[in-house]
Amino acid sequence: MPPRIHSSGCPPLLLNCVPESISSSCSSSLAVRSSSRPLAWMTAQTQSPRCANNFSTTAPRGLNKVQRKMREWIKGPGQQFAEPTGEGKPNYLMGSTDRPFPINPLFKSQPVLSDGAREKIYSAVMERGMPLKAVSARYSVDMRRVAAVVRMKEVERQWEASGKPFAKPYAKAIQGMLPIQHLGPDEPAFEPINDIHVHSYTMQQVFQPAAESKHFTRVDAAKAFGEHILPADEKMRIPELIQLERDLELGIEPADANKKFLEATRESEKAFAATKEAQLQREEDRKTRVESGRFEFRFERINAGAVGHDGRARGAVGWRYGVPFNDRKRGVVKIPTKVE
Amino acid sequence: MDADCEMKLRQTWNKYNLYNLFAYKKTPHIVRTHFQQKWAAKAATRGYHGEHIKERQWQHMFSRRLLSVVDMDPEYMAKHDGSEQGAGRGSGRDWKPDDPTTKPARNGGSKSALPTPYMNMTYAPMERRLDVAVFRALFASSARQARQFVVHGAVKVNGMKMKYPGYLLNPGDMFQVDPDKVMLATGRKKETSFAKQKTAKSGAALARQAKIEAAGEGEEAATEVDQASTKSGEAVAEGEALDEIAANPGDVATLKKLLARAKFIADSPSADLSAKRKKALRTVMKDVRELMKRLGKASANRADTKGNLVDDLTAALSKLELSPAEQREAEQAEYKKEAEADEQKTLARKGIPMLSDLERKILEESMAREAENPRDFSKPYATPWQPRRYMSPFVFIPRYLEVNQNICAAVYLRHPVARQGLAEVPTPFENLTNQLAFNWYLRRG
Repeated sequence: MPPRIHSSGCPPLLLNCVPESISSSCSSSLAVRSSSRPLAWMTAQTQSPRCANNFSTTAPRGLNKVQRKMREWIKGPGQQFAEPTGEGKPNYLMGSTDRPFPINPLFKSQPVLSDGAREKIYSAVMERGMPLKAVSARYSVDMRRVAAVVRMKEVERQWEASGKPFAKPYAKAIQGMLPIQHLGPDEPAFEPINDIHVHSYTMQQVFQPAAESKHFTRVDAAKAFGEHILPADEKMRIPELIQLERDLELGIEPADANKKFLEATRESEKAFAATKEAQLQREEDRKTRVESGRFEFRFERINAGAVGHDGRARGAVGWRYGVPFNDRKRGVVKIPTKVE
Repeated sequence: MDADCEMKLRQTWNKYNLYNLFAYKKTPHIVRTHFQQKWAAKAATRGYHGEHIKERQWQHMFSRRLLSVVDMDPEYMAKHDGSEQGAGRGSGRDWKPDDPTTKPARNGGSKSALPTPYMNMTYAPMERRLDVAVFRALFASSARQARQFVVHGAVKVNGMKMKYPGYLLNPGDMFQVDPDKVMLATGRKKETSFAKQKTAKSGAALARQAKIEAAGEGEEAATEVDQASTKSGEAVAEGEALDEIAANPGDVATLKKLLARAKFIADSPSADLSAKRKKALRTVMKDVRELMKRLGKASANRADTKGNLVDDLTAALSKLELSPAEQREAEQAEYKKEAEADEQKTLARKGIPMLSDLERKILEESMAREAENPRDFSKPYATPWQPRRYMSPFVFIPRYLEVNQNICAAVYLRHPVARQGLAEVPTPFENLTNQLAFNWYLRRG
């Protein structure tokens, strides 16, 4: 609760009237009363001419201890947090550079990309046509982040073209209050790019008897956790990096190894695009489009029998007799689960 | 102790919340039963994480599967296939400090010694909510305000308006917030006319005093300027250079921008323009088109008339964005400006010279700054925009979001994860409190 502010002035009730009544002309009855018992009033007035709430037997409600301490802090040492530092540095409690919550050392405010860094990524992808994987490895920025940066830069360009104003002062202020990285050559890696998800099957300890002579590798370990568990090598987001390291280990020139890496990433991107396209093509092949001046009708071959044992299978199409729709029922969540 | 229990931390940039963050102490857990500890931890953490969400809703969202990642080092993976960990007697070869070849290979080096703080991930599902994500992306000053923005239709997900604050973002979703709302949430409060009157009344005497003092200083400043004027000789020539700059063919681009802005105002569905203002808008658009045509035909037009026209049109356009009351206010400001300009003119007649190079540069810079962060009475926040007070200690962006502040958009890259020594869920509580809260929601014992 915010601290209450109490005015130090007098309550505007009877008291304001009293001195006048004593002197001359408030109301006759009051004047009579005051003349009959003048002393108490007079003394009270003379003792504290500014505020005479010694009539009230209730103690004034001041701040309690906690509120007082809070106000003292806000007016004193808390003042340094009122404005940003102005030096392009964060301004966290206790003078920390990366810990916004003083008692939780396990959450850190990690640097974000500067506007220049985002431009670098955008130009690498859109102007120089580098594959996402290569850009990610080059700047040590997660592939998903690279994609997001490019996507939002595209929107930015659209805004610029249509004359929609940016939130420039806001952006500048925020960038001045955050830890920032510019993706320069002498900066540390921005973020780990080779994270692999820890599968819940691999969070247990497994006792697996193996022959002493067996060469038990990561692949065998994955098998031991479960048939469908992939070894770490296959879960890597940029497996080409392992090959790059192997090439360097074999003594191939770094420039050549890098060239090979770039080629490999380009190839993998092409292959990914080809599979996506094939998938879209398959979907398109199932449809028949009929153009009729105003509308385009799309027909698709559907198996009406594939509705599951209760007629409510996820992929089922159409309304089925006797199976009520639940989509408007009370208690059923209507919030969409995805937006595409 | 009791005072600490009452101290609630919230998802807000309020200064009282800042004090609470500062004064919050680790709770001593030993003196209570296990149930009491769990209850207190749950109460404290829920006060921060989605305090505006019903408990039952959160119970449905809670997941005991806590996500984590391991950073694999490609160099380690290239050199080792993992078999070295089972070498020797089954748990790796012994390390003899005098023999470097026996040094155990470890993925990630010394970092891997840190534990993964899984328990700090208790409230990870909450971070998926749209309103919480809007707050985390620094587009709103509290989670409740973020929720209001969503409900009021100021937030888009993947380009579509999303009105449900409980929408759970999927990895790769982009959300955009109306920049005006963001500037309102993160900027200083606009001084209302009532407050202005109040301060004007109370400060009237002060102002009078200041005026008297300023008059004296003004005279001094005028004499200084006079001295400076005698020093600069090539003033007139520089004035001609300024005219040439104005004659550059950047005007067509400015006009195009003007036209786009006029269209933007006309098309924006929220602007309920009156018939009168619509008419005025049409006139402006017509004028702009005509001017563009003329510019295309005869580029040898007088530079100053062109410049004046563009300025007039800009002014007319900016007026159209205001409501009648605000227009009046703006007009008053304009009168004031005109009066000032007149004053300057009289000064110039007295013999103030044209601008020097440095002065012109400074003027241009300040004009650019003004164009970027203009004084605009139509905005619901104080202009020129400034960050609100007590904002900076709350400013951080978690790694699962990538934010572009220029367009007030952000992408939810992935779910928050725990990694060695770090948990990505922004929680003000220590590990033990989070662990107790997690145990509460496990609903065992």
